[in-house]
Amino acid sequence: MSDVPLDLVAATKRYRDKIVLDELNLTVPAGSVVGLLGKNGSGKTTLIKAALGLVKLDLGSARVFDQPAWHMDADAKSRLGYVPQVVNLYAWMRVRQTIEYIAAFYPRWNWSLIDRLLTEWELNPRERVGTLSVGQLQKLGILVALGHEPDLLVLDEPAASLDPIARRDFLKALLEIAADGNRTVLFSTHITSDLERVADRVAILRNGKITYHGELDELKENVKRLHVTAKNPLTGSFNVPGAVRLRVEGNEALVSVKDASGEVIDRIRADYEASVTVEDLNLEEIFLEMHYD
Amino acid sequence: MAALLGFIVSPNSGVPIYRQIVEQIRAQVAGGRLEEGVFLPSVRQVAEELAVNPMTISKAYSILEREGTVELIRGQGMRVKDPGPAGNGKARKQALMPLLQQVALTARLLNLSPQQVISALKPLLEDKS
Repeated sequence: MSDVPLDLVAATKRYRDKIVLDELNLTVPAGSVVGLLGKNGSGKTTLIKAALGLVKLDLGSARVFDQPAWHMDADAKSRLGYVPQVVNLYAWMRVRQTIEYIAAFYPRWNWSLIDRLLTEWELNPRERVGTLSVGQLQKLGILVALGHEPDLLVLDEPAASLDPIARRDFLKALLEIAADGNRTVLFSTHITSDLERVADRVAILRNGKITYHGELDELKENVKRLHVTAKNPLTGSFNVPGAVRLRVEGNEALVSVKDASGEVIDRIRADYEASVTVEDLNLEEIFLEMHYD
Repeated sequence: MAALLGFIVSPNSGVPIYRQIVEQIRAQVAGGRLEEGVFLPSVRQVAEELAVNPMTISKAYSILEREGTVELIRGQGMRVKDPGPAGNGKARKQALMPLLQQVALTARLLNLSPQQVISALKPLLEDKS
C-alpha cells in the first residue's frame, strides 16, 4: 500500500471573513503517527474535517488514499476510521447494540479486539449510550472507529475528555495500533506530553498554515535556546539566522533558533566574542517559542 | 535473561526519547551493569513498558547496533557485545564530555587560559584521598 493516506494541497477554507485554512499543505506519510498541534481555535478540527471530506474546501485539494476526499468511494471509506471531537451516537442504544449497528456497515470487524478493549476500558456492553460519562462516550467513539481495523485512523482531540488513567490506556491502545507499522494515525491535540509519547511526527498549525511538519526527534534536536554572554553590549547589533525568538539585555542574549548547528553556535562565539550555552527544549517549550510574536 | 532495565524515559524532556535510551544503554554497558551476552528486552516489551512509540525504540536499538554496542542475533534479539577496553574507555570519556564542556565554558567566562585550567585540574585528578 504505497498510496498516500492523506494529502492536502493549497487547502483554503474561509468562514465569512475569517480565513481558517490558508493555502495549507500537509502530506501524511503511510505508517506514520502524526500529532497535529495547534492552540484553541487554530483550525485543527476544520483541517481534519476538510481532509476527510466532511467540510468542503473553498480552494485547493484534499485527498484520502489518492481519492478526492469530497467524493470518496466505499472502498476508501472502509479503510478510514474517524473519531470526532464530540462523539455522536444514539443515546437510546446500548453499548453492544451500538457496536453491532456500526459493525454491520463493514465487511470485516475484529470482534476479539473490540471485546478485549471493552473489558480493558471498563465499558459495560449493556449500558445505554445516554448514561455514559463524557470520557466513556469518547472511549466508545474510539472503539467503533477501530473495529474495522482502518488503515488510516483520524482522531480529533481524542484524549481531551479522558482522565489520566483512561488517557494512558488510550495511548497504549493507540501504540498497539501503530505498532504494526502499516497503519497511519493522525490525531490533533493540545496536550504536548501525549504527542511526545506516541507520535513520530508533528505538524504545527498556526494562522491557517502548517508552520512545521517533520520528525519530532528532529524538531527537538534542531530547535534550541541559546544563552549568549558577550564581551560587549549586544543591544541593537545582535542577530542570528533562523531565530524564532530573540531577547537581548546588555551583553546577554537569549535566542531560540530553528537549527542550532555547531556552525551557528561557532559563528556567534566568533562574531560577538561570546560564550554560548545550549538549552534543550521540550515540545511544549518549542510550541510556545514558535507562538511568540 | 532480558534485562529490563531501569530505563528512565521522560517524554517531555528536550532530549528525544530515542537518544535518552541510547545514552542509558551505552552508560550501562560501559559501566558494566549490562554485561556481554545479555539480551536487551524486545522493542515491543520496552515500548509497552514505557508507553512510547515502538518506532522510537527500534531507532535507538539500530543506532546501538550500528555503533557496535549490541548485535542482532536472528530470532533472539539484541545482544550486548563485549565493549572491550578501548570501547569502554571511549564510552566513559563520552560521559564526561558534558561536564568538561561546562568547565571549558566557565573557564572562558573567567578568562582563564588552557594552561591555568589544566594546572588547576591536575591536582584534583591525582588526589588519592
